[in-house]
Amino acid sequence: MTQKLMSLSEMVERVPNGASLALGGSFLHRGPFAFVRELIRQGKRDLEIVKQSPGYDIDILCRAGCVKKARAGIVAMEGNFGLAPWYRKAVEKKQIVLEEHACMTLTAGLRASAFGVPFQPVGGVHGSDLAALNKWASIKDPYGSGEDVWVIPAIKPDIAVIHANEVNELGDTRIYGTYNWDRIMTRAAKQVFVVAEKLDSVESFQKVPELTLVPSFMVQAMSIVPNGAWPGSCWPLYEVDYPAVEEYMDTAGSLEAHKARAPEIAERAHA
Amino acid sequence: MPSWSGFSYIVTNLARFIRPGEVTFSGVNSTPPMMACLLAKRAYDFDFTYINVAGGVQPTPSKIPLSSSDPVLAEGSTAIFANEDFYDLCTRGGMDLCFLGAAQVDGLGRTNVSAIGDWHNPKVRLPGGGGGAVMLPTARRAVTWRTEHSKRTMVEKLDFITAAGGMAGVVTPIAVFVKRDGKLALESWHPEATLDEVKARTGFAFDAGGAKPTPAPSAREVEALRSLDPQGRFEGDASVALR
Repeated sequence: MTQKLMSLSEMVERVPNGASLALGGSFLHRGPFAFVRELIRQGKRDLEIVKQSPGYDIDILCRAGCVKKARAGIVAMEGNFGLAPWYRKAVEKKQIVLEEHACMTLTAGLRASAFGVPFQPVGGVHGSDLAALNKWASIKDPYGSGEDVWVIPAIKPDIAVIHANEVNELGDTRIYGTYNWDRIMTRAAKQVFVVAEKLDSVESFQKVPELTLVPSFMVQAMSIVPNGAWPGSCWPLYEVDYPAVEEYMDTAGSLEAHKARAPEIAERAHA
Repeated sequence: MPSWSGFSYIVTNLARFIRPGEVTFSGVNSTPPMMACLLAKRAYDFDFTYINVAGGVQPTPSKIPLSSSDPVLAEGSTAIFANEDFYDLCTRGGMDLCFLGAAQVDGLGRTNVSAIGDWHNPKVRLPGGGGGAVMLPTARRAVTWRTEHSKRTMVEKLDFITAAGGMAGVVTPIAVFVKRDGKLALESWHPEATLDEVKARTGFAFDAGGAKPTPAPSAREVEALRSLDPQGRFEGDASVALR
């Protein structure tokens, strides 16, 4: 029963090179950033990253050379930091392949997987060059309204990795504040890994089951990493650590120094 | 009479697109529209439904965040209306006003947020698709802003059409455009600029019939913006110049 609960390094050891990973959160908020740094420490290669609005996560993974392909809607550091510099360089130098989406076309692809169908209609897209770029098809309403609808092929990540507020020993998962795109990611992916701030009791979840975003039977692995969304925020526990993001963005600074400051390392040092 | 700064011109004129009773949305990477929605709540007597990318529905945030997707923007909210919810609301026709970012805008109000230069060999890789391709054609009205008004940003031809459907409004440091007969038309210009200057700095031709200098900010608009940015931090970070 408790074998799903493991250390962060054990969780990341389960990720093969070349895996397709859907990462939860949005920009600097509630991303599975401790997990992402551990991917770098373990030298993972050729990863495919699926996320509507990646930022720090895709950028640091590009900086460390772990990424083969990004399937993304909008990529930026946000919060005054502008473009994601190492991601930008990786795309411009063709070190990674980009599949550019609108956030909702990526979501449509995830919905197709979640619904168990090969493709999924999406509203809008009309007139966008993204359709031809991605060779998306449009179909006429088979029921005769005359309307044309764009359809997006299924996107099925190997693992959805989300950073949550609380899990219990069974794997039930809670998020406070917005869950961004995490719900559909966990329904679309083949496996779900959860990094959580805190382990809570099963009884606590039984009292308010409607607060559970992901039920335990869908979760394969959990790890408890307090402050694991650093240098991003995790509502309502902590805010973005802006000085730390500034340090990360400083091209004169080293990636090693940044990673060494991370809470998952500090935790280990104390243990 | 109060005068404009580049920043107050953009934020306040974005706020002036907000109408009573409407569902109005601000998203990621969108500090000026976030400020505009919060300004409208403080400066105008009418009510409207403010929703945002942090899941907030009529939120009462205790502070104004640097990131326009910060979860503090859902503080005081009585619901969490997460990402899939507000996109679906938009595509089914329930989003009255949607603020969307753009790097380049053309005369039809279409946008490029994908790449400068050829998409496959970009000179600059931009953030990318985001909400635009789905929200611009499906929102009842969409409005964008540019902190630089030049032939690089207000272009005759987009390097890439990320989103079509046509902006209902565009605000720059020197001008406010609205949609008229499917094209962007000049509504007003910054009182310290001129119509000739707007024409000279815009890459596309536009109708300027009836355009006039932008009315000065009201005392309540000035006070609302000051209360949102008492130290001038957002104004300083945005560093919007008239020229």
